[in-house]
Amino acid sequence: MEQMIEMLEGGFVLVRPAGELDHHSADEIRRTVSHLLYGGAISGIIWDLGSLQFMDSAGIGLILGRMRDLRTVDGGTVILNPSSTMRKMFEMSGLGDHLLDGTATDAIDKLGGILHGK
Amino acid sequence: MENEMTLTFAAVSENEALARMTLTFFIASLDPTLEEISEYKTVISEAATNAIIHGYGEDPSGMVEVRAMLEGREVTVTISDKGRGITDVDEAMQPMFTTKPDDERSGMGFTIMESFTDNLKVESAPGSGTTVTFKKTFSPVPEVCRTTG
Repeated sequence: MEQMIEMLEGGFVLVRPAGELDHHSADEIRRTVSHLLYGGAISGIIWDLGSLQFMDSAGIGLILGRMRDLRTVDGGTVILNPSSTMRKMFEMSGLGDHLLDGTATDAIDKLGGILHGK
Repeated sequence: MENEMTLTFAAVSENEALARMTLTFFIASLDPTLEEISEYKTVISEAATNAIIHGYGEDPSGMVEVRAMLEGREVTVTISDKGRGITDVDEAMQPMFTTKPDDERSGMGFTIMESFTDNLKVESAPGSGTTVTFKKTFSPVPEVCRTTG
């Protein structure tokens, strides 16, 4: 699947998957993101889902799995621009607090707030 | 509108997209909203993925069968496998329940399927497979869209 991964300042990783995210395509993203996580100082992941045409619960498993990895470094997670169907799934899964409509900069602000206990 | 279809495919994960696409074409004539399509596709993807990874453990010799029937604006879809089956269906349908936490399954598949369908039925027996049947009714096309074609 198409994916774009970018390192932002402050140790934040921006992941922008495109196309369809299912159990088949989630593996590839997991490998790339895990590689980054194990390799360096990551303070948070921003998942921008604005270019994603489809996602099923594999996307939720993928994000929950990375949240688990981030726990060891106290890293935060922001899920940007999900479609309304995706939003419903995240809310059912207890991830509603991580959702945000906006830009990567908005997400960094939110993460900065989380990391500094604001 | 009345229509019927059957699709059989091997239990490989590439076929999750095949099931979604085929069943989306099947209901395309109903002019569903984008949200209805994406919910419907999600349910199919969850059920097909379950059959592929839980039913058959991604063994390509396992076959998944999908049947769909359209009556008016209601579609009935049956997705079945002859794989391992589920010992306790009620337990499997609990939110966050998963037998494969190491594989990063969220355990939300059945919860999502229930929420995005009008009716969901799961029949299963250990060793003989699982059949998931769901119904979804698509909202009527607004008058203004119908007259402008």
